[in-house]
Amino acid sequence: MPRTVSQGLAEVRARVAGLSPGWLAAGLALVVVLAVALVTKPGLFVDNAIGGLVYGMILVMVALGLSLILGLMGVVNFAHGALFMLGAYFAWQVVAAMGLPFWAALAVAPVAVGLVGVLVEVTVLRNIYDEEPTIGLLATFGLTMMLEEVVRGVWGAAPKSFELPAVLATNTSLGVTQVGTFRLFMVGVSALSILLVYLLITRTDFGLTVRAGVQDSEMTAFLGVDLPLRFTAMFFLGAVIAGVGGVLRGAEVGMGPGMAEKFVILAFVVVVVGGAGSLFGSVAAGILIGEAQYLSTVVLTAWADVTGVQAINVGGLEGLVPYLVMLVVLLVRPRGLFGEEGFLE
Amino acid sequence: MSDLRTLLGVGEDHPLYRYRIPVGLLVLVVGLRPVVAHEWFAGYGQLATSMLIWMVFVASFNLLFGYTGLLSFGHAMFLGIGMYVVAIGVSVFALPWLVAAVAGVLVAGTVGYAIGRIIAGKGEIYFAMLTLAFAQAAYFVVNADPYGLTGGSSGLTQGTLPTWIETYRGQKRVVLAGMQGEWYWLVALVFLVTMLALWQVVRSPFGRTLMAVRDNRQLAKSIGIDTDRYQTAAFTLSTMFAAVAGALMEINSQGASLETFAINTSGDTVLMAVLGGVNYFFGPITGVFVWLFAEDYLTSFETLHLPLAEFSTVSVDLSGLLNYWAFALGALFVLVVLVSPKDGIWGFVRGLTERVAARLREVTR
Repeated sequence: MPRTVSQGLAEVRARVAGLSPGWLAAGLALVVVLAVALVTKPGLFVDNAIGGLVYGMILVMVALGLSLILGLMGVVNFAHGALFMLGAYFAWQVVAAMGLPFWAALAVAPVAVGLVGVLVEVTVLRNIYDEEPTIGLLATFGLTMMLEEVVRGVWGAAPKSFELPAVLATNTSLGVTQVGTFRLFMVGVSALSILLVYLLITRTDFGLTVRAGVQDSEMTAFLGVDLPLRFTAMFFLGAVIAGVGGVLRGAEVGMGPGMAEKFVILAFVVVVVGGAGSLFGSVAAGILIGEAQYLSTVVLTAWADVTGVQAINVGGLEGLVPYLVMLVVLLVRPRGLFGEEGFLE
Repeated sequence: MSDLRTLLGVGEDHPLYRYRIPVGLLVLVVGLRPVVAHEWFAGYGQLATSMLIWMVFVASFNLLFGYTGLLSFGHAMFLGIGMYVVAIGVSVFALPWLVAAVAGVLVAGTVGYAIGRIIAGKGEIYFAMLTLAFAQAAYFVVNADPYGLTGGSSGLTQGTLPTWIETYRGQKRVVLAGMQGEWYWLVALVFLVTMLALWQVVRSPFGRTLMAVRDNRQLAKSIGIDTDRYQTAAFTLSTMFAAVAGALMEINSQGASLETFAINTSGDTVLMAVLGGVNYFFGPITGVFVWLFAEDYLTSFETLHLPLAEFSTVSVDLSGLLNYWAFALGALFVLVVLVSPKDGIWGFVRGLTERVAARLREVTR
């Protein structure tokens, strides 16, 4: 399932070398389209590029756990979005209700989310690993509904937000534009979490046994690996990353009960685009979708200005972009950008 | 039901047994409104009309999930397409309702076929999540109000009713060619026709093939069934039935609302079907009845008087708690999925009657 960065890059290089002229032309056209937008609107472009990166990182944080659990246990955990949402609400509880510093929330909330995740795994999911995959989807869907009702009951349905720490509530100058320091901080924290997960899976004995379990669970168990324990541990890990993502997202734009379903669907889109079973794919696809969503508006306004045709500037497209990307990827490359053949087919 | 059948002395070939589903549907249509309108239940008859429409819709979903084994998490999209095409056709293009309804069914079928071609044969989870993603995309499109057609988040209400519907104090009447009739009976007629069509589909060789695909895709493939094609066909067919329900719902709720395209509507559909029991023809019908009834009953029900309303000694205020009835329903749903995901309430009732019948037979022997 997980592959190393060098393997991924080597594959990318090999693919580029083997591209047909048509694809090269399409790639060149994309570069030109983006370059024109960058030259005509540098400030807006960089703003949105960073916005897209931040959003993409959040998507990666949710998709990573989803992809890990899907690869390991063959279950699409629909409740993963609810865990992400809980991260944001726990952070609100720590910062706004208890008056503790943001750093405490960043440390405590993900662990609390992880514990909720373990509870979900032990009480519900553990009983249905041998069933059809749809059963897991249905059960976690019911769990999402319950968790959303809990959030509605405890914190109310109105959107909430909390204060950022003073250090991060400033702006950093990037030459052409000013960027909120917190957004850069988000990118740093997400990149660090992704790197840690990545190292855990590729460089440790624990990760080795987990990967072995994905390839052949029967044989791995035969060799004396306690797989159920690793399943629970991976579920905890997935929930913690989603929780970190939730804390960051909650601090940036606030929270509401609708974010659970929205983000689990987007995360699944990311997994589909990246290719199920590939962690590298999830990371690449998350950033790709985040950037596509944010840059598409800049590109459209820039081209509308350059050509003078205002009809190019279609509004309200942002929400649709992830699904368009998915549609194109599915039509061109049905198993995703870096997906393995035969996985979940 | 074999025990019950032998107890009643009805043979395998007896017409009552062979046609138990049409008979059951007829009994349902006649009996539903008096039961629902009774003061112990909802107390008003309109709920029965909504129930029939929802039953058509959830049954169309079950053609996909229960009979073909494809879990669609975006089925409300096709209900919405049916609603919006009819609403746009009637209000903007001034088409007769019937023409608009046929157009709605065709549009839904075309969209369904296109999506089915892309995602059929992708594995169950993929299918479920991709339908969800397409539904979400449809939500964005409708919300963006393209060409001013869909009305964005406020939906369509102006001029969406056909001329032959008269509304008086919330009651709808059908006035057609000098004849008057109740809206309920028109819905009931469409309900019977579509449900019988679904029944015919399910028991036809086509339907049996779908079940073969559901039960064992590999085996079905190896005996020469083009499984992807059958899945696409089932998906297309079920989207068209869903659009029929949408066309009826357009009249019933006087227009089209964006809410139909929301994930919650698709989610509710899955919940209703699974709660009712996806293995049975009457499963979705049971699910819709229980769900809509619970929703109506629990949200209007505030104080629990014990032992009885007239002779209350203890009154418990439940209004605060019942706002969160979806939590209990979610818990019940998880329980049903864990214990027996295909049987649901209808399966439970069936099992119960069978056991009682077996017991009775022992006693009477």
